Amino acid sequence: MQVEDGTDERRLVREAQNGSGPAMARLYSLHWRGAYRAAYLVVHDAAAAEDIAQDAFLAAVDALDRFDRRRPFRPWLHRIVVNRALDWARREALRRRVDGAESVFEPLPPPEGIGGELMAALKELPAEQRAVVVLRHLLEYTPGEIARMLELPRGTVNSRLRRGLDRLRAAAETEEFAEERR
Amino acid sequence: MRDELYRALRNVAVPQEAGAEERGQRIVEAAYAEQRGGSSELRGAMTPPTSEGRSRQPLPRLALALGIATLLTALLLSPAGAAVRDWVGEVVESSAPKPEPELARIPGGGRLLVQSAAGPWVVQPDGSRRLLGDYEEASWSPRGLFIAAAEGRTLSAVEPDSTPHWSLTVAARVRSPRWSPSGYRIAYRAGDELHIVAGDGTGDHLVNPDTAPVAPAWSPYGTPEVAYVNSEGQLRIAASEKRASRSGAPPDMAGAVAGRDTSQIEWGAAGRLVLEVSPGHLHLQRMRLSKLEGRSEFGTRTELAIPAGASVVDAAVAPERRTVAAVITHWRQHGTTSQVLVFTPRAAKPQSLLTVPGSLGEVAWSPDGRRLLVAWPGPNQWLFLPVGRGKPRAVANISTAFSPGERAASFPRVEGWCCRR
Repeated sequence: MQVEDGTDERRLVREAQNGSGPAMARLYSLHWRGAYRAAYLVVHDAAAAEDIAQDAFLAAVDALDRFDRRRPFRPWLHRIVVNRALDWARREALRRRVDGAESVFEPLPPPEGIGGELMAALKELPAEQRAVVVLRHLLEYTPGEIARMLELPRGTVNSRLRRGLDRLRAAAETEEFAEERR
Repeated sequence: MRDELYRALRNVAVPQEAGAEERGQRIVEAAYAEQRGGSSELRGAMTPPTSEGRSRQPLPRLALALGIATLLTALLLSPAGAAVRDWVGEVVESSAPKPEPELARIPGGGRLLVQSAAGPWVVQPDGSRRLLGDYEEASWSPRGLFIAAAEGRTLSAVEPDSTPHWSLTVAARVRSPRWSPSGYRIAYRAGDELHIVAGDGTGDHLVNPDTAPVAPAWSPYGTPEVAYVNSEGQLRIAASEKRASRSGAPPDMAGAVAGRDTSQIEWGAAGRLVLEVSPGHLHLQRMRLSKLEGRSEFGTRTELAIPAGASVVDAAVAPERRTVAAVITHWRQHGTTSQVLVFTPRAAKPQSLLTVPGSLGEVAWSPDGRRLLVAWPGPNQWLFLPVGRGKPRAVANISTAFSPGERAASFPRVEGWCCRR
């Protein structure tokens, strides 16, 4: 697999396995933003997203020597990120049900700027739908690849995508309507 | 719609993105350096090479194996190695014992708290074990009746059979919970803040808003005092029942300058010593109890000398005695050797309990102070070393014991050995 600037990702992995700090640094800088952003868009909590992205990279470092160089690094990392983000979101939902209350701290407001309504709508989706939307439309995996990453039937991925997009589309239309009225 | 969604997801302002990337880089860099070389000397390995510092060249595996095999000989023959040999005494006489295949009992008894990737485990004296839940850190209460566990921004108290008692969610990630010897309080870090909460989860209060990333340590004297390191690197003692003032001033009673880069403090030897650990140094801060005022005072501060060029991996002060155990690592171009050293007050030189090739991990005292548990991740073993008379033991296949069903299990960390009755 070729990464964005044409560097051979397999070569970076091989060099990192052989002790090259700059190769590991390059892998980190290539993939941090996507990993952190994906985690944030699933959990909508900056501290948790930071933990999740960090944990994913630490898992990558831990497994570096065992990593099969024939496999691409990026989906392997994103699989860890999204699965951990889903675990966190499920635990948080359970905690809220058990505690019967929100966190005592104010949640951060939805980010302003492009797609504010869209982001708010994304946050309202069930975590499972958020995850497939993020994998498909931020990280640009195919439904088949998402199905393998999340160990789900492809039909389940497609239905989650469809439901998620339907709700986001409704939010986008509301936003467009609001824009027109301004 | 799809283009708009793609743009929105890519361009939405994610909070704290740059700071998170920088913090993550430091942590990943440290983990990578540790995994590649087992030494803090490799910190900065992810920094792109400059004319002064090029990246480490890959070492052929055969050369690496030969290097490790001949390292002890080289150590003895080289002038520096001779100095090390003279300094610690029986360097090569010690060797790791033949390992038992699985953890069937804890030598010397007691219970262990072990942190794995899946969460903390409680290990009973017969080796049976139970996973407590999905917590990131955990530590024993003084008599082992409860465990303080941290996960994200939540601090919880759970029983060793994993029954939860209470949870407290705070503003920042919870780290390093430590239960006081009285059992009435828990000190913990929340982000950069030091907090104390009652043992029943009530009365949470701020002690200091700006502390170093070092776990707090309670006074074993029985006085309600907690030692911590502030953001300026000072070792401080705070009265645990008092709060920080409205301006954030901590309720400190005493302060001393801690060593630079202090990564760990332990208040042991029945309250008489605070051990300060940094990668390059071990310091002992002597403590005494002011009986009139019922609080601790600082005495003299001394350094425990370690061999030149060695770095401290972990250290622990014995529960009741003025004895310090330390794991040190010598990193060389062709491999790493590690030693377990024991410092006692009257001996001119530390006693070397063990020297092995590769990296050793954390060290923990048994509750009776007669044994040490030392982690040895490379060969996947725990070493149980007697301090004084007794037979050393080793147990193999540790990572698989705490990651059942996983093919690529990571090595767990021993968080505590409980408890003196």
